[in-house]
Amino acid sequence: MATPMPSGVPRQPPPQTDNPNFQQKQESLPDDLQKWNPNKPSPFPGSAPTLPPLVRPPPSSSTSAPSQPNSRPGAPPPLVVPGPNVPPNVGSVRPFGPPNGPPSPFRSPSGPPSPFGPPSGPPSPFGTRPPPGSLPSSMGGGPVISPRGSGAPGPGGRPGAFGSSSRNGPPVGVPPPMMVTGRSPGPAPSMGPFVGSPQASPKPGPPTQSAPPFSAPLAAPFGTQTWAPGQVAPPTAAPNAAVQPPRMFGMPPPQPNQPLPAIDQTGASLEDARKINSNQIPRPTTSYSKIQYDTRQGNQANIPPPASCDYIVKDTGNCSPRYMRCTIHQVPCTADLLTNCGMELALMVQPLAPLHPSEEPIPVVDFGEGGPIRCSRCKGYINPFMRFTDHGRQFICNFCGCVGSTPHEYQCNLGPDGRRRDADERPELCRGTVEFVATKDYMMRDPMPAVYFFLIDVSMNAIRTGATAAACAAISQVIADLPEGPRTMLGIATFDSTVHFYNLKRVLHQPLMLIVPDVHDVYIPLETDVVVQLSECRKHIEQLLESIPTMFQDNSTAESAFVAAIKAAFLAIKSSGGKLLVFQSVLPSVGMIALSARDAEGRGNISAGEKEPHKPLQPADKALKTMAIEFAECQVCVDVFTTTQTYVDIASISVIPGTTGGQVYYYYPFSSISDPVKLYNDLRWNITRPQGFEAVMRVRCSQGIDVKEYHGNFCKRIPTDVDLPGIDSDKAIVVTLKHDDKLQDGSECAFQCALLYTTVYGQRRIRVSTLSLPCTRNITNLFRATDLDAQFVCSLKQVANEIPFTPLLQIREQVTNICINKLLAYRKFCTTATTSGQFILPEALKLLPLYTLALTKSTGLQTDVKIDDRSFWINYVSHISTPSAVCLVLPQMIAVHNLDFDKQEENGSAIPPVLPLSSEFVSEEGIYLLENGVNGLIYIGSLVDSNIVRQLFGFSTVEETPTQFALQQYDNPLSKKLNDVVNEIRHQRCSYLRWTLCRKGDASGALFFSYLIEDATPKDGPSYSEFLAHLHRSIQAKMS
Amino acid sequence: MANSDPEGVDGVRMTWNVWPRTKLEASKCVIPLAASIAPIRPHSDIPTLPYAPLRCRTCSAVLNAYSRVDFLAKIWICPFCYQRNQFPPHYAMISETNLPCELYPQYTTVQYTLQMDPYPNNPSNAPQLQPVFVFVLDTCMIEEELVFAKSALKQAIGLLPEQALVGFVSFGTQALVHELGFTEMSKVYVFKGSKEIPKEQVLEQLGLRAAGGRPTAGYPKGLQNGFTNTVVNRFLLPASDCEFTLNSLLDELQTDQWPVQAGHRASRCTGVALSVAAGFLGACLPGTGARIIALVGGPCTEGPGTIVSKDLSEPLRSHKDLFKDAAPYFKKAVKFYDSLAKQLVDQGHVLDLFASALDQVGVAEMKVAIERTGGLVVLAESFGHSVFKDSFKRVFEDGEQSLGLCFNGMLEIGCSKEIKVQGIIGPCTSLEKKGPNVSDTVIGEGNTTTWKMCGLDKSTCLTVIFDLSSTDQSNVPETVNPQFYLQFLTSYQDPEGKTLIRVTTVTRQWADISVSTEELIHGFDQETAAIVMARITSLKMETEEGFDATRWLDRNLIRFCSKFGNYRENDPSSFSLNPCFSLFPQFIFNLRRSQFVQVFNNSPDETAYFRVLLNKENITNAAVMAQPSLISYSFNSPPQPALLDVASISADHILLLDSYFSIVVFHGMTIAQWRNMGYQNQPEHQAFALLLEAPQVDAQIIIRDRFPVPRLVVCDQHGSQARFLLAKLNPSATYNNATDIAQGSDIIFTDDVSLQVFCEHLQRLAVQS
Repeated sequence: MATPMPSGVPRQPPPQTDNPNFQQKQESLPDDLQKWNPNKPSPFPGSAPTLPPLVRPPPSSSTSAPSQPNSRPGAPPPLVVPGPNVPPNVGSVRPFGPPNGPPSPFRSPSGPPSPFGPPSGPPSPFGTRPPPGSLPSSMGGGPVISPRGSGAPGPGGRPGAFGSSSRNGPPVGVPPPMMVTGRSPGPAPSMGPFVGSPQASPKPGPPTQSAPPFSAPLAAPFGTQTWAPGQVAPPTAAPNAAVQPPRMFGMPPPQPNQPLPAIDQTGASLEDARKINSNQIPRPTTSYSKIQYDTRQGNQANIPPPASCDYIVKDTGNCSPRYMRCTIHQVPCTADLLTNCGMELALMVQPLAPLHPSEEPIPVVDFGEGGPIRCSRCKGYINPFMRFTDHGRQFICNFCGCVGSTPHEYQCNLGPDGRRRDADERPELCRGTVEFVATKDYMMRDPMPAVYFFLIDVSMNAIRTGATAAACAAISQVIADLPEGPRTMLGIATFDSTVHFYNLKRVLHQPLMLIVPDVHDVYIPLETDVVVQLSECRKHIEQLLESIPTMFQDNSTAESAFVAAIKAAFLAIKSSGGKLLVFQSVLPSVGMIALSARDAEGRGNISAGEKEPHKPLQPADKALKTMAIEFAECQVCVDVFTTTQTYVDIASISVIPGTTGGQVYYYYPFSSISDPVKLYNDLRWNITRPQGFEAVMRVRCSQGIDVKEYHGNFCKRIPTDVDLPGIDSDKAIVVTLKHDDKLQDGSECAFQCALLYTTVYGQRRIRVSTLSLPCTRNITNLFRATDLDAQFVCSLKQVANEIPFTPLLQIREQVTNICINKLLAYRKFCTTATTSGQFILPEALKLLPLYTLALTKSTGLQTDVKIDDRSFWINYVSHISTPSAVCLVLPQMIAVHNLDFDKQEENGSAIPPVLPLSSEFVSEEGIYLLENGVNGLIYIGSLVDSNIVRQLFGFSTVEETPTQFALQQYDNPLSKKLNDVVNEIRHQRCSYLRWTLCRKGDASGALFFSYLIEDATPKDGPSYSEFLAHLHRSIQAKMS
Repeated sequence: MANSDPEGVDGVRMTWNVWPRTKLEASKCVIPLAASIAPIRPHSDIPTLPYAPLRCRTCSAVLNAYSRVDFLAKIWICPFCYQRNQFPPHYAMISETNLPCELYPQYTTVQYTLQMDPYPNNPSNAPQLQPVFVFVLDTCMIEEELVFAKSALKQAIGLLPEQALVGFVSFGTQALVHELGFTEMSKVYVFKGSKEIPKEQVLEQLGLRAAGGRPTAGYPKGLQNGFTNTVVNRFLLPASDCEFTLNSLLDELQTDQWPVQAGHRASRCTGVALSVAAGFLGACLPGTGARIIALVGGPCTEGPGTIVSKDLSEPLRSHKDLFKDAAPYFKKAVKFYDSLAKQLVDQGHVLDLFASALDQVGVAEMKVAIERTGGLVVLAESFGHSVFKDSFKRVFEDGEQSLGLCFNGMLEIGCSKEIKVQGIIGPCTSLEKKGPNVSDTVIGEGNTTTWKMCGLDKSTCLTVIFDLSSTDQSNVPETVNPQFYLQFLTSYQDPEGKTLIRVTTVTRQWADISVSTEELIHGFDQETAAIVMARITSLKMETEEGFDATRWLDRNLIRFCSKFGNYRENDPSSFSLNPCFSLFPQFIFNLRRSQFVQVFNNSPDETAYFRVLLNKENITNAAVMAQPSLISYSFNSPPQPALLDVASISADHILLLDSYFSIVVFHGMTIAQWRNMGYQNQPEHQAFALLLEAPQVDAQIIIRDRFPVPRLVVCDQHGSQARFLLAKLNPSATYNNATDIAQGSDIIFTDDVSLQVFCEHLQRLAVQS
């Protein structure tokens, strides 16, 4: 033992930079280690088992080391210490080993305050500083972790090196000495070199540190945004603008060395909010260049870029933030710490999120009959953070710490770094996201076929408004996009006050229409032939879709038995499960669970709606939920396309899609001119987007953290799993987390989301995404590692959930309070007392006020919103992904009158820079496009050059603006460019958008201006600067 | 009464043609006072009058040949209530030499046509009176059977009058109402098979309710054009318009697609299908003549009307089960069909059942609905069998062979005030119209003097059971009233949709038994009496629990013989019966042995079937059912009736047995041998060929006129099919007395008593004091 230690120790440290902010090369480490390892084996053949641990330790220790130096200005002393300490540590580590570790680790940190002093200390000394981030990172850095690693290797004392620990987040914290060791090696100098060659993985050297940290130091200091209300602002503002966009995500301003606290917290008295120069207010940056993002660097989780920007992910151990994004990229060690910071710990999970075209596809791993390797206790799936020991014969689960034996055929020797030698060839051992081929054990039955059942409203209104025709046309076009092959089944039914099925079997000359008239107790008219193989009956289906609109042309039935129809359709596909796509146009008025026009209730006293929960926002009938659960149990996923002119009680209807993993599409008021195209595109995307059936999802966390709740569109029957009859690339689920124990500072906490699902081609798969984050005791770290988008979306969804049950005023207040509390916490714990007069925003949260303001002015919280609009918003929010959520609340506005059609924007995107959402930026001589992922508004100023109008829209004066409109491309460059832009936006949003032309002076104009959330409106609140002033006052009040 | 037409112009036959005056006397006569009436039996001597009948102000009896008329005062006196009625103005021309038709003494039966249609020029009214046919087809059959059924249906549709409206319902696990008027594609309303659906729901679910106000049940005048037209357009189309649609629909119709579990019966919702058909028909055209024609291939196993569970290990109920109350579904099903019958009667619609299956299909349960509505029933083994095919065709055929299916019949009976009506046995429903002539005791459909016959045809026959008023009639001066009168008034719609009223007035004499029974005896109609007894027995067997039919018949026969026989007490050998009664014991003997009393050889379905026909057919046909006729063919003599006795079997005779439901051609052993050797094909044996042919020809004649078409069994002596004959013969020769058997004759292996033994016992018991 002794021998290895010394050698190992020195080397390890250098390579690793712990600070997440730094871009690190993971590869470099292993390589380096491996090189080193070979030597080892020979000298210590007998000690082979110990080697692996050694290998790993380095990363962790190294990570910690570098960060520390960086973080701390005065780092030197610790460095000294380490060397000597190492050996002893080893010894001590061992005993505590893996499982028991926890207690000791905790003690150690606290106990040996002095040694840690420096690292942990930062908070206090630097606490004032916003960027303390750097410090915390070092803290989290993992010295703590290492012990574990060392513990495991037990035999070989040197594992004490802790390196391994980095992977095993939770368990054992190693005594302070470890840290020291880490540092000692990592003297700043070493870092230099790495900086230069961040990408050069092969380099043996400890190229951990990426250049950015250093290069960007300047930025970093300013990271925390200060907002100088009146006077001071200038300096800060400028830097911010420059700084933020930069591509380094992880890197926020970790540079502890740069003691620029003063700058960070430029504060100005908020005496007169109105004086604020709106240009200085924090706003989302206009354009992002493409960002390359590695999920882990230097064996350290890397803070991901904002959800809404364009980035390319390289999976280097952690899963892509697209799949799983934590609200804070460091995990607070204790529940108290979390409470103090006023933030929520949650994961935004989007298991089937679409990839950027440049990203590598998810590797599919087939373990054969045995199925994927899993922890025998907690059933966690094999992932890069499971540590192999005993020559690879055993592995330690990074969730529960259980030691499991490796199946014989899966065994592999470990390299000197403690990693399996085949780790890099095996995706499950080096990638954050892999997909396993599921075995029989994962199937209750054969994987279900791809079943699509279309249910179309043919009641009088649907027919007359053209909704039926639009639906039929859309379906008929979209059939071509359904998966090919005999496994694709399809059924069609229509409904008015009765339900009409169609026997589509081939032998019949024409489809046979089967009417189920009993809408109080529905049933299916045929056991078979209502759902048929698409490949065999294509002709009949097309014929039918063509004839439906004419067949019901004279339908005089105004009633709709929507619920009964859904139930009947459900019965038809019950045996297999499948997707049920419903096109609905009127309020379900007859049959089971008929609904009434509740929108009239309380219309008279809208103000009352603000003071008490609005009943019509709640589902009218509990039976809907019961029914929805039944659907979910049979793996039926319902999507509802509401094409209506009136109130349809979306609050009630959405219960079914909301429980079955589907969603509501809302076309109100339905226009037969502009909406059919969108309907088709929505349907097409609905069917062609990556998706799965009969899915079950579970999130596992390392010991100490547990899942509190899941939010999203799914059905939950047992506490641990969510059932998703359908899951697709657009659906996200929020998983809130809670502490059930303390975590060890410096360890890592892992989260794993496993989604078992069936592909449209009938393969059963398990998609496993693992995210391992460092733990920290430092509140400043938390603020630095905060993910604003995730934070915001998390609270957005929670707020949305509450809207039906809480008075609007109260909710708005609550939303503002969430914002205030976060800022207050930051103010309290992370800034110096001297800045009390200033309004200080942490860099990571600088947009929080804007987001918050936008939220209070969103459809969900606005005062004057139709019930259905609000219900739709609530439902939509419940499942949207982080990027869509941000853009939903904070629309993008661009000017289109002056599109420069020759110029590509810098980043290759066709979209011009976005404008702040303030009427200051809207000129009556311009044309503006504003979109939020759902609606697209084009505002035509009243003084626009008629030539431009003609070029773009085909009419010449603003007065001719039609109310219903379909964007067309005319033969001129401007129009082409506009279409390019629109298409680009559509592409980005995966949404066709509902387009409206707006002009001043009528409702459409008012609608447009209602999206300009920076403006003050009499009903819905203050302007952005007023709001900031309000926040500042509130915080000051609370501080005093 | 001429033998050829015992019912005469009036179509009335009575057990007693002379009635005792008192109730007491009547009860002593043993055989009840009853009349068998054929309400619309056609007869060339019946005049049709183009005006409405003239009715008595108080009792609403129709002016008839027995009314006394005061030509001067222009007054007629009703023979029933003695009310004096003024003739209305249009009778002003009446005089002794200028009598209206109904007053001619020979026209005891006249028919009136009514112009019900107030707007004869309005063509839209015309189709409403067209008959409506709703076909209800079972699809739970094997492919082959369904093909037969479908082709029969197609043929039937081809035979329908062009304007007749047609609807179509098919059923299996669920009931499917086909909307024939929907042209875009085949459209079907599907009703769940397991749930009873009230009429209102059927209407609502078919989307018929919103189309207009609910028409009141009743008669054509209650129709609303708009309403009926939408319905007509959607579900009921003139045969000419929908023949193509229906044919292609039938071509595509498959057997029920719902899976049948192994070891289980198909799921078949006959009950729901029928109630749905009834429901929408009721909504469509209340008061119009409509028939639901159900083709059923198996038992109902789903929903209301279920008669057996789906599990094949559970057999269908037998008579034994019914007797022991071990048929769990029976009562519920009967109750369901009873309510269906009520609904159909309200609407004036008919249920016809064509059941073809090897096992039972539930006729026993459905009987109530069929009989009350006057529907047809045919029971066959297969839809490919001639019993079904030919019968089904007959229903739709025109011309001389036509059944003359009429609709919406209503029978009113008027009678002298001493007479009460207990009820009617036969295809009709009491309308519960109370009156002074309603008896307190009820037999069959009683408690009324008015009955509804939703469906009736030329051969429909009803048995009216009378009673006498219990009040003493001695205070009525005999001189005033030596006669009593009965008037049967039947209004109905004929197949063309015309409304007709037929009035039959009969008179019979009172007899004073205390003076002499001679008159009474001569007024006895043995055949009618036997059949009335048979019908009453059947009824009692169905309605009275633990009723011992054989014993009841025996007791009545003994009482009867005691009353009317000539004998010395306790001396059997002295017993003799008046020739007017001589055949009666033999009738009863055969009745005791018939399928009506000996039910245990048959399934409940068969029994129900037999009874429906027993009650509906005229006396002559019914008599054949109870006591088959046997004709013997031989070289030596022309065909001649033979005794219904095993002794009639002879090796060189051919026997033709007509037991109504089956016709047996039975070749004696020798004949069979000759035939097998092919003699009939040799020119020199043409006589033999003719002999072989003769019974076949006669059988065909019988078959041609009969509905349902009987099963023809051709068999040889000692062949297995010979049982059809042997079962009907008097077992005068059994293995117990096989010694004195004529050569070539046969014996019957039975312990049943022979007629001879029966009569001996009868004599002995009759003479006991």
